[in-house]
Amino acid sequence: MLRRLLLVEWSGLLAAIVLGSIALTFLAPNFLTEFNIYVMLRSFCVALLVGFAQMVTLGVGQMNISVGALGGLVAISLGGMLEVLGFPLVLAVPLAILIGALGGLINGVLTVRTGINGFIITLATASAFTGINLGITESIPFYNMPATLVAFGEQRFYAFPYLLIAPLIVAAVLGVFFARTVPGRQLLAFGGNPTAARLSGISSERVIVLAHVLSGTLAAIAAVLAVAQLGSAQPTIGTDWLLLSFAAPIIGGAALTGGYISVLGTMFAVVLIALIENGMVLAKVDPYWVQFLLGALILTAVWLNRWRAVRTGTD
Amino acid sequence: MTNAFVRALACGTVLAGIAVAGAASASDNKIALIPGGPHPYFAPWEQAAADAAKDFGIATVDFKVPTDWKLALQTELLESLAAQGYNAFGIFPADPVGINSTVAELASAGIPSAALAGCTQDPSDVSFCLGTDVYNSAYLGTKALIEAMGGKGNIVHLAGLLVDPNTTLRVKAVETAVAETNGAVTLLQTVADTDAQEAADQKINALLGAQKDEIDGMIATGYIPSVVASKSLRTLGDKRIKFIGIDDDPIVLEAIKDGFVAGTMAQNPYGQGYIGAYVMDLMASGGCTVKDDAPWVKTPQTAKFIDSGTLVINQANLDTYKDDLKKITADIQGKFKDTYLNCQ
Repeated sequence: MLRRLLLVEWSGLLAAIVLGSIALTFLAPNFLTEFNIYVMLRSFCVALLVGFAQMVTLGVGQMNISVGALGGLVAISLGGMLEVLGFPLVLAVPLAILIGALGGLINGVLTVRTGINGFIITLATASAFTGINLGITESIPFYNMPATLVAFGEQRFYAFPYLLIAPLIVAAVLGVFFARTVPGRQLLAFGGNPTAARLSGISSERVIVLAHVLSGTLAAIAAVLAVAQLGSAQPTIGTDWLLLSFAAPIIGGAALTGGYISVLGTMFAVVLIALIENGMVLAKVDPYWVQFLLGALILTAVWLNRWRAVRTGTD
Repeated sequence: MTNAFVRALACGTVLAGIAVAGAASASDNKIALIPGGPHPYFAPWEQAAADAAKDFGIATVDFKVPTDWKLALQTELLESLAAQGYNAFGIFPADPVGINSTVAELASAGIPSAALAGCTQDPSDVSFCLGTDVYNSAYLGTKALIEAMGGKGNIVHLAGLLVDPNTTLRVKAVETAVAETNGAVTLLQTVADTDAQEAADQKINALLGAQKDEIDGMIATGYIPSVVASKSLRTLGDKRIKFIGIDDDPIVLEAIKDGFVAGTMAQNPYGQGYIGAYVMDLMASGGCTVKDDAPWVKTPQTAKFIDSGTLVINQANLDTYKDDLKKITADIQGKFKDTYLNCQ
């Protein structure tokens, strides 16, 4: 039983989460209070979608550097549509997600049409998306968000934030998409061996564009949740996403070269990162050492997972 | 930025103002006010620039924002504007030490600069620094918080960017105000690097989640944590925890109105931009230099500091604080020439 559990790629992360939770329970008696669990669950809603947004491009061996910039653009677009144009929520949210998908489409099409690596393309489009964001807002947020959206970002059922519903649905859909559908398998097949995939009749162009569109869409959903969570459409939304977007899927077991991703692993990685960040505050760590400890703990978690993989021969 | 109509109207007003000023231009100077990067704190500088151009008959006063909070981008912008004929600058340094070489370069070309809202580190070629006395503001804010708490209890300090030298001053100011209570007030924790909205949301809510029953008061000395904490206290429905924020973001003001926030420390960004443009015009015209023996305030960063004014906004003065800040601005501007400058 234990050996079978150890064979699963996320078992190291699960062990780290359990050990960390036990340690924090002793260290901070309030760790397991309903409100603190709610705070933690709420904090990983956006993070999870950001991790997924990068995970899908990693799956085809690409990178999306513009995840945060696109998220910021979608956030202020949503804010503008709601506050300035007076669009109803049911129209503004789908349009905002469409803007994200369109941003992803631009990334994908530019990548396949120019033949330039997606890393360079998205590096450039990130700057462009941020530029549009600043040009529109002049760094002043949109404040007047509809009460329904703000309430959705705050309300909870005991410790379960309503905000978590969206990432859980997305996780389930992504799990099925990559495990059971033809386009999902094609994405991973192309990421694992592009030449073999092409010889099997998989269109490389379609696969890359699809990955970027999915990535843009997921970044857009993350941005909508961030607006609901913060209660205002801040131009700074997305500025801190880049590191997290890589950390979560890679800690979760995704291959940087493409072809392998783990939805569950990414979820556990985000839980672990949220746990570490929460623990830093609870443990009253000296603010000047928080960044160091965060990095050290994430490295420990990665090492633990690596050790497990080597020991079980799943390396 | 509420709607396109208001924006168009505002632009029209500004343009009309500039046209009128242009007709009666007292100087041909081209002045630029340059923040460290995009931040809502500097939004009033745009209006301040337009008003200064109109009121003092300056040919051009522009508000130019670097695209990101990076020294290299600010430096490039300054050099590009100097090449375009701008002959005086009001700068919030993206890096208090790093900006000095560019300022020296400008000074050697006869282009004066002033540090606005944030100071450069001495030795520096900026003429002076006009900004909030961050130590005093944080000290007064903590005093106001302690008073709101009835003189005793546990407090938490929500600080901004750790790399900002002002954060160190603010931390010291809060510690000093707490120490003066002789143990009646305890500083439980300093939570820093909360200057990004999402990081602040995570950290502040984690803090409240774990320790809300132990915390009697909070003080924020950064714009973003101030906004986030105001919202978090409203979400929590907690009026027991007393909170003093900083700056007058609408979310903070609304929370003061509804009793979730005890007060906020107002700074004077409009006044900094307005007075800064006025003084830079006098200096760029070549007739004025700064006095060495003026009543400058000495700070750890600079020996030529002028406090642009600070006050506590609470329920009592929520509707009138802007008038108070205008009075402070008019007062500083009215006395500036005689007090701080030697003019021919």
